[in-house]
Amino acid sequence: MAKQQKETVIEVKDLCKTYFMAGGMSQSVLKNVSFKIEKGEFVAIMGHSGSGKSTLMNILGCLDRPTKGAYYLTGKLVSQKTDNELAFIRGHEIGFVFQNFNLLMKRTIADNVSLPLIYQGVGEKERYKRAVEMLKIVGLKGYEDRLPTQISGGMQQRVAIARALVNNPAIIFADEPTGNLDTKTSDEIMALFSKLNQAGITIVLVTHEDDVADYAHRMIKIHDGRKEYDGLRSAYLNKEGQ
Amino acid sequence: MIYQILKESWISISAYKLRTFLTMLGILIGVAAVVMMVAAGQTVQNEITKTFDSMGTNLIIIGPGETVSGGVRGGRGRPSVSFDDVESLKNLKDVKTASYLVNFAVQAVYGSNNYGVSVAGTTPEYLEIGNWEIDKGSMFSEKDLKTGRPYVVIGQTIVEELFGLQDPIGKVIRLKSRPFTVIGTLKEKGDGLMGDDQDNIVMMPATTFRQRIHSGFRPQYTNVAFVKTVSEDKMEAVANRIEYQLRARHHLKDGVANDFSVRLMTDMVEKVRSVGFALSVLLASIASISLLVGSIGIMNMMLVSVTERTREIGTRKALGASNKWIMLQFLTESVMISFMGSFVGMVVGVLGSQVAGVVFEKQVPISLWSVVISVTVAVVVGVVSGLMPAIKAMKLDPIDALRFQ
Repeated sequence: MAKQQKETVIEVKDLCKTYFMAGGMSQSVLKNVSFKIEKGEFVAIMGHSGSGKSTLMNILGCLDRPTKGAYYLTGKLVSQKTDNELAFIRGHEIGFVFQNFNLLMKRTIADNVSLPLIYQGVGEKERYKRAVEMLKIVGLKGYEDRLPTQISGGMQQRVAIARALVNNPAIIFADEPTGNLDTKTSDEIMALFSKLNQAGITIVLVTHEDDVADYAHRMIKIHDGRKEYDGLRSAYLNKEGQ
Repeated sequence: MIYQILKESWISISAYKLRTFLTMLGILIGVAAVVMMVAAGQTVQNEITKTFDSMGTNLIIIGPGETVSGGVRGGRGRPSVSFDDVESLKNLKDVKTASYLVNFAVQAVYGSNNYGVSVAGTTPEYLEIGNWEIDKGSMFSEKDLKTGRPYVVIGQTIVEELFGLQDPIGKVIRLKSRPFTVIGTLKEKGDGLMGDDQDNIVMMPATTFRQRIHSGFRPQYTNVAFVKTVSEDKMEAVANRIEYQLRARHHLKDGVANDFSVRLMTDMVEKVRSVGFALSVLLASIASISLLVGSIGIMNMMLVSVTERTREIGTRKALGASNKWIMLQFLTESVMISFMGSFVGMVVGVLGSQVAGVVFEKQVPISLWSVVISVTVAVVVGVVSGLMPAIKAMKLDPIDALRFQ
């Protein structure tokens, strides 16, 4: 039986990012990073503070552009797109989950979940319907009309996950998604990510916590702006003797 | 997209009700002040127009010429227009009627009542020229004028002050200790342009006036004469004919200046109206300062809002909002606040000016100006004061915005 060809969601080639500062100084944050992420993968990008993992995440999330190198998202070269083109790509292809949840506190949970759909021109009724569906997936059915201030931190992160799912993205980026949560709630959130990944959703999470990274199958470790390791998480743990 | 931006903007500004209201207050007070000041200016203009209308606008006023001594212009000269001059003007083409006036202030006495009055020696035609109407009795006649009979027609103030509830017709009043029979009363006319009481008047034949009240320096001459034309558009032509006629009658040679002046009531109305308009503009300009302060308030609030909502802006951008969307949302919020402030300000201004009208017993017009000013100000102030904060929001880097604490 022929091996089924996997669909590449992300491909980066020789990605570099240099910050130029006043007085002609510059700082190279990413150095020739290359890798591919296939559809349905659950990848953890790890690294110490200042390693360049957040910069990598920003470029992958189309919030920033690389200084050099190429970035292909679902086969399209996005590394040199304009601000508005990147905004369009973020709205249609990417879902974000932030450490601080970043919910709009004065808006209902349904409004928060459906926020990305406003920028796609989706009508009000359809937005609400989609928000209800997403909240059901993350286990918050019935919370549509509450305010974020009326629910716990774990629930707020579930709302953020529902918001990341609502535009049916090609990939979800989670930046330290459990950074503001206690251990039990962190486990619940990571279990939810695993469930979503099992349903076929591609997830890239940035973390410095080993416990969180353990939920991912693959790990990319960044050290001083270079890719230090790219492979199975389990193989890395075996290699490190953990 | 426009509906969505409007809705998002509305939700955002209604989430901070007190702050939005306080920001609105600046524009509200500014617009209300402008509306009230414009209304005040217009009321003054209307009062002026009403006063002129009560005298009639198709009127030409003839007075003494200016004195010139050693090339220096002085004040008005001595009376130079005679009663006969005025009589001759009645025959000119397009002249409806003509009259003249000589006046003097005396004390009027009836029984134990006395009152300071203005006595006007004139001709029967003055009734029509001054748009006066007889209330009771009649005006003195041409014959009374010729014979100098001691008849008077009195205004409503004198009726009230001297006679109270009595019927004055046929009664005898004393002016300068001389008796005069009241043969008619005038209908009320109200205050004049300078706030003078137009109803404090005693009219009598000019001949009687000269014989019994004040003979004057030149008894057969007047300080002011009036010519009423058949219509307003004939005024210029009639004024030229008057000048020609009077120069001929006064035997003035070519190159010699007029010893009389001819003024058109329409010109005077125009001049006074332009002063009234300038007053309106001045008042509105002063009130606009508060509008400026209000717009600075909006800009300040929107700048604070952009800073406070930096992370929200970052989140919206991360979730797909374009720079244009972000800019339009903040601009719309600013215009909405400004528009609401202007609308409420307009309502407050209109109501305030109407209340002031009731208090001061004046009819205050509701001007279309108010609406135009309000809407224009709302849009302009909203856009101008919201533009800088909106551009600031638009230019925010999504990464920095997401990191903002």
